Amino acid sequence: MTSMVDALSHVAALRPKSGARTGLRPDGVSHAREELVSLLGGREERNDRGNHFQVRRRFAGPAPEPLTPRAWNLVFPGVAPLPCDPAGWLFLDTETTGLSGGTGTCAFLVGVGWWEGDGFTVEQYFMRDYGEEPSLLEALAERLDAHRVLVTYNGKSFDWPLLETRFRMARFGAVPQPSVHLDLLYPARRLWRWSLESVALAEVERHVLGFDRGGDIPSASIPGRYFDFIRGGAAAPIAEVFRHNQMDLRGLAVLALRLDRILGDPEHSGCAGGELLGIARMLQKSGEGARARRLFRKSLEEGLPPGGRLCAERELALMAKRERDFTVSNRLWERLLSGSPEGLEAYEQLAMYHEHRARHPEKALDLVREALGRLQDRFRSGAMTEDRYRRWHARLCRRRERLERKCLP
Amino acid sequence: MEVGDIVRQLAPEDAPNEVVTAIEHFPAREAEWAPMPAWVRPELVDAYRGRGITELFSHQAEAVERIHRGENVVVVTPTASGKTLCYNLPVLNAILDNPDTRALYLFPTKALAQDQLVELQDLGGRLGDAFGVFTYDGDTPADARRAIRQRGHIVLTNPDMLHAGILPHHTKWTRLFENLEYIVIDELHTYRGVFGSHLANVLRRLRRITRFYGRDPRFIFSSATIANPGELAARLVEGDVEIVDRNGAPSGEKVFLFYNPPMVNRFLGIRRSCINETWRIARVFVHHGLQTMVFANSRLHAEVLLTYLKRDNPQPPGEPEIVRGYRGGYLPTERREIERGLREGRIRAVVSTNALELGIDVGSLDVVVMAGYPGTIASTWQRAGRSGRRKGGACAVLVASSRPLDQFIVRHPEYFFSGSPEHAYIQPDNLEILVNHLKCAAFELPLSSGESFGEADLELLCERLAESGYLHPNGGFWYWTQESYPADAISLRSVTSDNFVIVDETGPPKIIGEVDFTSALSTVHPKAIYLHGARQYHVERMDFAERKAYVKQVDADYFTQAIVYTEVERLAADESAPVEGPAEKTHGDVRIRSQVVGFKKIKFYTLENVGSGNLELPENEMHTTAYWITLRRALIDTLPFSVSERQDGLFGLLYALESVACLLMMCDRVDLGSTIGEGAPDIAGPTRSAEGDPQAGEWFEPALYLFDNYPGGIGQSEPLYRLHDLLLRRTLELISGCGCDQGCPSCVGPAGETGEHAKAVALAILERLIGEHAGEARRQP
Repeated sequence: MTSMVDALSHVAALRPKSGARTGLRPDGVSHAREELVSLLGGREERNDRGNHFQVRRRFAGPAPEPLTPRAWNLVFPGVAPLPCDPAGWLFLDTETTGLSGGTGTCAFLVGVGWWEGDGFTVEQYFMRDYGEEPSLLEALAERLDAHRVLVTYNGKSFDWPLLETRFRMARFGAVPQPSVHLDLLYPARRLWRWSLESVALAEVERHVLGFDRGGDIPSASIPGRYFDFIRGGAAAPIAEVFRHNQMDLRGLAVLALRLDRILGDPEHSGCAGGELLGIARMLQKSGEGARARRLFRKSLEEGLPPGGRLCAERELALMAKRERDFTVSNRLWERLLSGSPEGLEAYEQLAMYHEHRARHPEKALDLVREALGRLQDRFRSGAMTEDRYRRWHARLCRRRERLERKCLP
Repeated sequence: MEVGDIVRQLAPEDAPNEVVTAIEHFPAREAEWAPMPAWVRPELVDAYRGRGITELFSHQAEAVERIHRGENVVVVTPTASGKTLCYNLPVLNAILDNPDTRALYLFPTKALAQDQLVELQDLGGRLGDAFGVFTYDGDTPADARRAIRQRGHIVLTNPDMLHAGILPHHTKWTRLFENLEYIVIDELHTYRGVFGSHLANVLRRLRRITRFYGRDPRFIFSSATIANPGELAARLVEGDVEIVDRNGAPSGEKVFLFYNPPMVNRFLGIRRSCINETWRIARVFVHHGLQTMVFANSRLHAEVLLTYLKRDNPQPPGEPEIVRGYRGGYLPTERREIERGLREGRIRAVVSTNALELGIDVGSLDVVVMAGYPGTIASTWQRAGRSGRRKGGACAVLVASSRPLDQFIVRHPEYFFSGSPEHAYIQPDNLEILVNHLKCAAFELPLSSGESFGEADLELLCERLAESGYLHPNGGFWYWTQESYPADAISLRSVTSDNFVIVDETGPPKIIGEVDFTSALSTVHPKAIYLHGARQYHVERMDFAERKAYVKQVDADYFTQAIVYTEVERLAADESAPVEGPAEKTHGDVRIRSQVVGFKKIKFYTLENVGSGNLELPENEMHTTAYWITLRRALIDTLPFSVSERQDGLFGLLYALESVACLLMMCDRVDLGSTIGEGAPDIAGPTRSAEGDPQAGEWFEPALYLFDNYPGGIGQSEPLYRLHDLLLRRTLELISGCGCDQGCPSCVGPAGETGEHAKAVALAILERLIGEHAGEARRQP
């Protein structure tokens, strides 16, 4: 290679990506920092690991309410005993430099919220540049020490592992651990997957909790806003990220209260069909079969989308079968017969009944043959993946062969 | 029937020595034993005894002793000499001594890692499951990954996974990195050229991370025989590595044959097709019940041979095939099944690309037939080593193609059998490669202003990366400031990671394979015949944005070959010197533009050209390094040939030079490109050329370019410049030693394509370039 500088102009790996924001405005940095204070309040905080920027705000709502242990035991059955003192809960949400994870993704803004007095306090830790990260993490660790129940939305797979990585990168000897981590995405998905296309927090807020965020920023713009800021860009775009983060935290607290109410007393909370179905499945898992059956029935009465109906009827049929109430289970299976996975299972269940209980192998064989036909139709229509088709095909063929042997004269 | 008899039967009686040019017998070799070292723990001694190992081969004893002492070691011995014990024994001993100890094994392919897993699991079973061993690659299910990070004492992976899956997530691997004592790198010789230059940078990143966790692990390499294993290993770790190369393993008797397909037209130097001859030979072996492995040098040839052999051995519908193909594009489950079939003897013949060259355990086969010289002495021995292993009576046959390199080797068997093997070159400081890995390094751990990364001026590069928006300086560190994940965009094995997916639309659309971007342009361009699993597919269309090629199954009697145009522009000369001729040799920077402009249709079996087509595909441009010879006008003017004859001669000479350069550089042919351009400074500008299609006008002072076929260069140009004299002498030996009259595919290219006097012109130019020593070179056999 010729002289270094000359050679560099040919190196494709050094060229900016199309659409990348570049260029440093050193004079802009200090100006933007001042601007940030005037837009948000807040101040510089110092600790053993350096300094960072911190904003603290009190909101009147959502106000704390007593929490219902049985509601939370239902959602997180493995976690016992669940601390249900609202003062111990800490809501957390991060704004990051990317979504891909890995050691090069930073949480440049960490927001936490907790109930205090009769209102909701939000504290936000912000690194004005990368060097402020250790101090930001130290402040967060102290706050986590005071509130031991961590509440997030998708934090189990995103925010918390990312923060663990940050603590390790900053060489915190022991990574702080909350005593309990409740990720509200899981119950949200169970309750609203039937009625919402996306269970993103803002969608749940709009359609379930009934409030609209108004002029919120698109999440995809967040990393770019931060990269602009550290290079001396204006403060207003990043101030909007702070507000977005505050909305996330308050929305999360409202969601927690809503979950508390409907899970604590689903029978009398005016739940929609899909919600009842989700709760019924949780009840079933935690061994409350009788209540679960009532809610499955109620969810069908309230009305369910087709997928939800299949699910509820299948669960009811399986429950009836377990209790050997074959009249009920057979009636439900017959309603379910189709080429869908639930429908094929219905064929299979009925065939099992006729083979082993009613001792009618011929009838069972007819059902299995019909199932194979429905399966093939389904696959040809493109509604089933090849992999799934193969598995069902093998499973039904095994049964068919056995039945054919049984049916031999 | 003896294998040797079978081959002699195949050779026509009139000129047997011209067809079978070498029959080398390798007698069985006795083992050299050494006792198990005293420091090996008794339970490990028992575990190995359970596998039938009570003593070590001398090279194993030396290797484990050195590793135990804490040295970095490279073990260089042939296939099936018990290389894995050299690293497994000391690593397991260290784990048994201290259960916190961790080791990372890198294999160039997933299949090799799978193979090692089986062996280590067996040892683990004998040791009461005292350690955890796992493979970690793209096939590892997400839910198993956490357990592997925690409990894997030995993690078996590949450089690609280390690069994109482990290093960027090192905080999840704290247990491993905090206790990492050994890094094992198997099949070292495969890490040459681009791949090796990438690996060197991945290892720079790995060492940064181990330093972060306070470790300084030792490196253990194993390698097939190459000329510079110690140097290559030392460049990869940027530290000292001890060589262990005195083989103590026994071997069975073996015959190695060189087979040169008979001449069908002596005047034109045309021989029978190497593919067809390989097929003929392989089918006889298969017919005599010998388990046979056929190696082809390209996917295309592998597919053609597979088609032929399958037709010879039809199986009733529903019966398992006894002839199978094996190459990179096959799905993992299919490959595992083939490997098992070979070990169990159900599969009687397998046609493979270099995918089976490495140490994948498929048991011992009876015969290996190679369709064409694999390109290097090292891989030829590797492939030959697939037959026989430790027990007797095995055979390897090398069937020469008409390529110059093949002809040189079969006509100079002593070069192969007694010659030293090739050097493996890498260029870890190739800026394109280095900068890409610097991005990854910054993502993994902010770059400190004080640290070093290869030979690069780190501060300067970081500033440039900051200007481009990748990095941001703060408090003495450079931080990654992109949303994206840099490792995802960087493939260790090719120019870009943009693979084309092949979608079969014959029935419901399904994906049948993938090819990397560069080969996609020449293999799945519109109207190409794409061969996969011995089936032919016609490429209907190519979607560049989506990186997809849509194909439909057809039954054609031809396959296609792409025609590529290349254009070169000189950017700067690093070194230049006048040489005999008069001429000038130079190495420096060039810009290469290439474009697939059309294709030829070639008929199966007869291999005749049955048609062609034009294509409009995007141009590829790269900045790279080249070595070139500029012929002065004075030389050109005194050649007693016409303008067009001179042109033909130049292309013929280039053809031969490139072949010999590959031989000297141990590079895959794809790693080296060649072209001719205008060399006179006043006229020099971009000039185009296409092989076998000389343009009308003559160059004033033609320059013959050999360039690194990779952006930024991979370090082959300067060595070629230094080897200028040797390169010319060997090229003269090749052309003058060729039995053809007016040029043939084995020296300057086929007379029909290169022109009638190409051979004479090429020889005349070479003699001028070599000067007074030319006579000596010509007298060489």
